[in-house]
Amino acid sequence: MSLPLEEREMAVVGCGPAGLCAAITAAKTGADVVVLDENDRAGGQLIKQIHRFFGSRRHGAGKRGYEIAGELERESEAAGVEMRLGNTVLGLFPGGEMMVEDRDGVYVLRARAVVVATGASEKGLAFPGWTLPGVMGAGAAQTLVNLHGVLPGRRVLMVGAGNVGLIVSYQLLQAGAEVVGILDVSERVGGYEVHRLRVQREGVPFYLGHRVVQARGRYGVEEVSVEEVGGASRKVFRADAVCLAVGLSPLAELAAMCGCRMVYSRELGGFMPWHDGDMRTDQPGVYVAGDAAGVEEASVAMEEGRMAGLSAAEDLGAMGRKEAERAKDEVRRFLWELRGGPYGEAKRRAKESVHCA
Amino acid sequence: MRVSGRKEGGETRVDPWSQAWERAAAGAVAVVDCGERIPCNPCEEACTRGAIEVGEDICAPPRFDPGLCDGCGRCVAMCPGMAVFLLDRSVGNGRARVTVPYEMGEEMRAGREVWAMDGEGKPLGKARVVGAKKRGGRAGTTLVTVEVDEGWALKVRGVRDRLITLEAPLEAEAEPLKEYPLCRCEEVSGPRVGEVAAEFASLRSLRRFSRVGLGYCQGRFCQDMLRERLARAREMEEGEVGTFRVRPPVRPVKLGKLGGEDA
Ligand SMILES: Cc1cc2nc3c(=O)[nH]c(=O)nc-3n(C[C@H](O)[C@H](O)[C@H](O)COP(=O)(O)OP(=O)(O)OC[C@H]3O[C@@H](n4cnc5c(N)ncnc54)[C@H](O)[C@@H]3O)c2cc1C
Ligand code: SF4
Ligand code: SF4
Repeated sequence: MSLPLEEREMAVVGCGPAGLCAAITAAKTGADVVVLDENDRAGGQLIKQIHRFFGSRRHGAGKRGYEIAGELERESEAAGVEMRLGNTVLGLFPGGEMMVEDRDGVYVLRARAVVVATGASEKGLAFPGWTLPGVMGAGAAQTLVNLHGVLPGRRVLMVGAGNVGLIVSYQLLQAGAEVVGILDVSERVGGYEVHRLRVQREGVPFYLGHRVVQARGRYGVEEVSVEEVGGASRKVFRADAVCLAVGLSPLAELAAMCGCRMVYSRELGGFMPWHDGDMRTDQPGVYVAGDAAGVEEASVAMEEGRMAGLSAAEDLGAMGRKEAERAKDEVRRFLWELRGGPYGEAKRRAKESVHCA
Repeated sequence: MRVSGRKEGGETRVDPWSQAWERAAAGAVAVVDCGERIPCNPCEEACTRGAIEVGEDICAPPRFDPGLCDGCGRCVAMCPGMAVFLLDRSVGNGRARVTVPYEMGEEMRAGREVWAMDGEGKPLGKARVVGAKKRGGRAGTTLVTVEVDEGWALKVRGVRDRLITLEAPLEAEAEPLKEYPLCRCEEVSGPRVGEVAAEFASLRSLRRFSRVGLGYCQGRFCQDMLRERLARAREMEEGEVGTFRVRPPVRPVKLGKLGGEDA
C-alpha cells in the first residue's frame, strides 16, 4: 500500500504570522507555495487575541490580534498562496517529504523547500492537584473565553506575571471573571509596565515571590494554597480555576525529526533547531521562523517569516542573490530595531548565541 | 518642548501628569504615561499633529509635546498599553475632566454615575460621566470622560460601574498533599520520579524507565518538567540534559487513516 504523493515547490507548516509572512514573501517572487495548518482558521495565536497588539505599526500594532490575522490571510490570497487549513503535518523527513493528515486520510507531500513555523507550546507546572478540572494553561483559558465564550471559572488565580499572564488576566476580567491574584515566583513582574499597570488599576493584587503549593477540591478546584518562596507564610485562596502562564517553549518537533540539530536557550524558551541569521537550519531546504525558532513576539515572527521566505525563494532560484540580499538587509534592520530595549536586547543576545552554537 | 516619558539613560523621568497640568488649563491634553523601553509605536502614528514622537528607535519611550496636542484622543484609543489619558482643567471651579480608555463590558454613557478608580484599583469616589465615545469602529475602545474634583485629577486611572471587593486569601495552613502525577497520560508519580532521577544519565533513559512522556500526548506536557527534574537531580544545565527523540506521527492519528479500509 502506498500513500498518495504530491510534489510542490515550497511548503510552509503553520499559518501563524511567521508562516503566513514566509508564504507571502516567497509567493511574491513567483514561487509555488502551499501553507498547511491543523487549525480550521488562519492566524495561529493571533485569532484568539482580542487585545490591541503592542509592536510596530508596520506589523499591525495598535490593531487587535484577529484583525491582523485577517489582513495577513487576505494578503496571502492576493499573493497566490494556497492555504490548506485542517491539514496536520504528522511527520517531516529528510528530502522535504512530509506526511499530512486531512479530513479524508493521510497523504505525502514533497517540497523542495520547507518552512517550519509551528509556533510554541505552553509549559506546564506539576503540583499536587494540578490534574483537577479547573487547572489549565493561560492559552487554553484564552481559547475558552475569546473563541468559545465560556468562562474557565468565576474566581481565577493566575500563575505567572509575564506579558501572557497579564494580558490573559485582563481578558478574563473583560469576560466577567474575578482574578483573585497574579502569582509569580520572581520578585518582579516580568511583563511590560504598561500591561502591569492596566491590570493593577482593575484592582488585581500581585503576589510576587510566591509559588503554588497545591490545589484542592472534590470535583474541581475549590481552593489553592500558595507560599512565600523561602518564607513560612502560607495563604489559601478560594478559587475555581488556576491559569498557568509559566512560559512557552518552541514547538519544533518536525525539524528535530528530520535531523535538524537542536540547541538550547533558556531565554528563548528551550530547545529549538539551530539556524543562522537567514533562518536556514543545518538541513538543506529546511527553514524555521517565529516562535518555533525561539519564543519572541508577533512582530519578530513576521520578520523572521519574511527572512525564511526570502532564503527559500533564493535557494529555489526564484530570486537572484543580489536582490535577495537587498531585501534581507531591510528585514535585518527591522529585526535589529525590534530587539532593542532591555527586553529585546536579552533576546538578541540569546539569538546570537543560537546562531553561533 | 519635548520631554521623554521616564528614566532613560540616567535622565530623570518627568511625570507626564505634571507635564500636562499647565497646558490642561486651556483644554484637553494627552497624558502619555509610558516610559519603559519596549518595542511599540502606535501612539506616534495615531497622532496626526505630530505631538507624539517615538522615532527611528522603536524602543524609545514616546516623547510628547503638549504644545502641539489638541486633545483629540486618537492616541488614547490606539495605545495597546492603555497608557494614554486626557486631562482637561478648562472647566474651572476647582473641577477637572479626565478621559480614560475603557474596554470592560458595561455600557458607559454621559450622565451615568460611576466610580473613579486610582492606579491601584482603589476607589477615589463617585464621579459623573460627561462623555463616552467609541473610537475605532466596531472593535473600538470607549473613551470615558469623568468630571472630578481637581484634587483627584492626577490620580484617576480608570472607571468602574460597580465596586468589587475581592475576598482576601486566608492566612491558613492547609494540610499538605504530597502525591501528584508528573505524567498525566501514564499516571507516573512526580515525587517518585524526583527520588530516582539522579540514577539516570540521560533524559531518554529516564523516559524509558519511568514511562513519563510515552503516553498519548507524547511528552508535550511533561517533557519540560521531566527535564527540569533531571537537571536538578544531577546538577546539570537543562540544555545539557537533551530532548526526547521525536518520532512520527507528532499528533495521534487513527490507524485506519494511515492504512485505509483494508489495512
Ligand atoms: C496571550 C498572548 C498575548 C500575546 N500578545 C502579543 C502582543 O501583544 N504583541 C506581540 O507582538 N506578540 C504577542 N504575543 C506573541 C505572538 O502571539 C506570537 O509570538 C506569535 O503568534 C508567534 O507566531 P508564529 O507564527 O511563530 O506561531 P503561531 O502563531 O503559534 O502559529 C503556529 C501555527 O502552527 C500550527 N501548527 C503547529 N504544529 C502543526 C502541525 N504539526 N501541523 C500543522 N500545523 C501546525 C498551529 O496550529 C498554529 O496555527 C502574544 C502571545 C500570547 C500567548
Ligand atoms: S490627543 Fe490627539 S493631538 Fe493630542 S497627542 Fe493624542 S492624538 Fe495627538
Ligand atoms: S502606544 Fe502606548 S504603550 Fe505603545 S509606546 Fe505609545 S504610549 Fe507606550
